Amino acid sequence: MKKVLFFVVMLVGAVALASCSSNEQFDLDVETEFVVGLEAAYAPFNWSTSVENEFSVPLAGQPGVFVDGYDVVVSSMIADELGLDLVIKANDWDGLIPALLSGEIDMIIAGMSPTAERAETVAFSDEYFRSEQVVVVSTGGAYAHATSLADFNGARVVAQLGTLQDDLIDQITGVNHLDPLDTYALLATAVAQNAADAFIAELPVAQGMVATNSNLTIIRFTGENGFTVSDEDVIVSVALRQEDVNLLAAVNEALAGISTDTRNQIMAEALERQDNAS
Amino acid sequence: MMVFATLPPKDEFLNTIFYLVERYSGFFIRGVLITLLLSVVGTLGGFILSLFLTLLRTTEVDHRRDTWLTRTLKRLGRGFSVTYITVFRGTPMIVQAMIFYYGISPLRLSWWTPLIAGLVVVTLNTTAYIAEVIRSGINGVDKGQMEAARSLGFSRREGMFLIVLPQAIKNSLPAIGNEFIVNLKDTAVLSVIGVFDLFRATQSATSSNFRVVEGFFIAAIIYLILTFITSKVVQRLDVAMEAGKENAHA
Repeated sequence: MKKVLFFVVMLVGAVALASCSSNEQFDLDVETEFVVGLEAAYAPFNWSTSVENEFSVPLAGQPGVFVDGYDVVVSSMIADELGLDLVIKANDWDGLIPALLSGEIDMIIAGMSPTAERAETVAFSDEYFRSEQVVVVSTGGAYAHATSLADFNGARVVAQLGTLQDDLIDQITGVNHLDPLDTYALLATAVAQNAADAFIAELPVAQGMVATNSNLTIIRFTGENGFTVSDEDVIVSVALRQEDVNLLAAVNEALAGISTDTRNQIMAEALERQDNAS
Repeated sequence: MMVFATLPPKDEFLNTIFYLVERYSGFFIRGVLITLLLSVVGTLGGFILSLFLTLLRTTEVDHRRDTWLTRTLKRLGRGFSVTYITVFRGTPMIVQAMIFYYGISPLRLSWWTPLIAGLVVVTLNTTAYIAEVIRSGINGVDKGQMEAARSLGFSRREGMFLIVLPQAIKNSLPAIGNEFIVNLKDTAVLSVIGVFDLFRATQSATSSNFRVVEGFFIAAIIYLILTFITSKVVQRLDVAMEAGKENAHA
């Protein structure tokens, strides 16, 4: 037993030692490339594809796999502005912040909302997209004609693990808050297969899903009928390491050059390029 | 030739499957290759490393001849082997993957990719399981074999490596084959650190069309083909060994 304990202590020690990353910041003059991390499973922000086109970028270390989407186009624009080569790595949603902190990637451009909780460990850029939170339900189901959150009393509602949407569920009175799932594809499947009544998503994500799955419908809310959200809940930002202040400034400068019209157009085009149902 | 240029409607299950296979064949092929690579390297590497563990675990302290240093080293080796097996069999591979991959990546080694981390984790994990298999294989070899070897002038080590271990490994082969089958399926958990195995390939193929059930239906069939073929090979091995035993008795 003592030996087991000894081994565990050694292991923890080794991990702790390995976790002491350097405090040197990203040097824009020395570095030739920067690494962006995303899920490659959050269309239309980012998704995996076998198609190489003018927007898609090859996924690092995985020949034949490309990523496309709003985040990818914005990443390319930032890369052009910074004069650096763009490398994109895919990671599970939960693994993105650990990967950023460990130096595995330099930025998260993955449709991430800059919540106060996340801002304790990472730095966020200015917004690069603004959207609204909607509910997605089954087209033929009991909630297809809901108009306010109150209509979801008693509904089984689900969201992605570790997301803002998962927290928003609790704003619905009398809701049956289901355990969160790993990807948006699973959320769509849960509602389509009647394992849940509804899930919460950002509008463009929901639009992409409805385009591919006719059995899903978006519920948008007007005025006071929807979620009470703060600014940080409806915008997405680039996440960086807190010590990389120069890089943050450069990213903000690059983002400032992309107008709202351009942003909306990039998003509309990304929605078009997704696997669309005939 | 692309038969399905666009995604079929949601209610067309089979057409969706054909569409996914056609459009994402590259993903599925790559996924299968990576899954096979993980299983082959994991099982072979695990087999080789497990021999070292077994060696450490089966040494016996000789109180008359061993010096104090040898005795301590043997005890340490034995302790390490027991601890190793306890830790790696007692924790899920998905947990080991998270600790190893993210624990080592701060060192910023350029070769420390998810695939390499996956190969390391599956090998270390399989080592623990095969070590147990071989240990029971050794227990299954008649004690008389070692006694005979000793009486013929073999040292303990020679007796173990030339007489007992070959028989133990031969008896363990079907169980090691089963370990390979387990690896084919269980390496799916390595997708959590970004290894592009069959599971992640399927996730990627459904990342912009959300046809998860159809996509994983394809994955299930591929996994089934892989495990079915392997289990047939293992069965053959079993039968061949039974035949070998009968010949030996005759």
